[in-house]
Amino acid sequence: MHIMRKYIFTIMALCCLSVLQGQDVISPERKQAIDSLALEKVRDLSRYISIIGNKDTPFSEANRVIDRAEELFADASEIGVSSINRSDINYYVVKEYFKRLMALNYDRVTIKWFNIQYISDLELQPDGRYVGVITIYQRFEGITDDGLRYMDTTKKDITIYVERKQTQIGGRLIGFWDVMLGDIRVTETST
Amino acid sequence: MRITFFCVVILSLTVPCYGQVGEYLGDEKAFYATTKQVNQFLRRFNGEEDLLGTRFYQQDSNFRDPGLRSKYIKILFDNKQKDISLESKKQFLAEVIDPDHPQYLDLHGGSWFAEVSAKFKYKGREEKLMLFLRLQEETVGSKWVIFKAYFDPFKEYFKIDTADRDKFIHPMSHELDFMNLRKIFDDPEIAAAFTDQDFQPDYLSLILYEIRRANLKFKTVSQVKFHFFQLEDWYIELSEFNRPGSNNGWLISNLINVNVQQKDQLRKFIYYEGM
Repeated sequence: MHIMRKYIFTIMALCCLSVLQGQDVISPERKQAIDSLALEKVRDLSRYISIIGNKDTPFSEANRVIDRAEELFADASEIGVSSINRSDINYYVVKEYFKRLMALNYDRVTIKWFNIQYISDLELQPDGRYVGVITIYQRFEGITDDGLRYMDTTKKDITIYVERKQTQIGGRLIGFWDVMLGDIRVTETST
Repeated sequence: MRITFFCVVILSLTVPCYGQVGEYLGDEKAFYATTKQVNQFLRRFNGEEDLLGTRFYQQDSNFRDPGLRSKYIKILFDNKQKDISLESKKQFLAEVIDPDHPQYLDLHGGSWFAEVSAKFKYKGREEKLMLFLRLQEETVGSKWVIFKAYFDPFKEYFKIDTADRDKFIHPMSHELDFMNLRKIFDDPEIAAAFTDQDFQPDYLSLILYEIRRANLKFKTVSQVKFHFFQLEDWYIELSEFNRPGSNNGWLISNLINVNVQQKDQLRKFIYYEGM
């Protein structure tokens, strides 16, 4: 609920910018607002991954969270994973990736962030949407009850789609910029 | 000394937190130094972002600052690539930041392309297939398009024995309605010998045909490189490095001083043409 309110607030803020400027061109100020919204979605995704991977999460709750997580993504999004020893990419549709995460035999999963993110420029694509990439680094740690520990650090290049949409508020059509996550490239780093 | 100082500055800075997920780890130094995206390579090369990766716009005082560019460009080379001499790097740097004629890299500037090494299943075996893509401008926005390809297993179909002087269509064949074509095509092994001297097989068409017939099936991407021909007299190859340390990410893996004619030859070499 808190997350929902936060999105609504950010969308409203973007609406105000849209009304003020009335253009579809993304100014540096608007780009900054879009970046913040995209980063919030990325952080929500990480929260969901922690919950899904945690063995204490009841099965039904994990499935509910998978549904929430899926809502962050544009249709047909995939996760492409490679490791240090194997540069070939393994492809998973988003739901499959989460289901695999749920099936991992760790009793506790923690996801820690490195305090860095890199946000690309937004590029216009032929369908009128903008596309960008956010790069983050995360450390995954899975621990079993008998003390076995798996740890890796991954670079995640996350596609974001930014789309101009309209909503009716008080009988008026208001334009706003919506952000959806797309394909994610996951690379294991040697750090 | 100045480069070292610059790197230390890069590595010692931190960015503000945006929220909490689990807990933050420390020691992001190497990640700051890493050129994390091609987008960041272009921005660093052009001097269009600060040390934290925040974009500069035209109205910002540091936008494309030659001093900043000089520091950035020095750290954009793969330090383990010994084929790029210090002299070449110096000459290259001097030319691209020349105050009278500065040169920049542009995503939409053309004259650059991606080389994607992919794996396909062909006749029951996994085979490497090279795809070449360029960014094509559209009425709205832009998109990557495949403009060339190379597939080694197809190479044998186009082998020509240049030493064999008996393989030709004689110069009066037109008088006989080219009836002798039957003999040529009777032996598929030698058919390529009757093409003109500039003939280049169109691998992309063949690949698309075989994909359509379900004989070629995409498996995965193995490696990506970029080739830049945008800068006057220079060719840059960009590769991604994933290794410990700060000389990491998208870096210049090859730098060659080339004139226009040599650029064309180099392009053909990269496309596996004339091989």
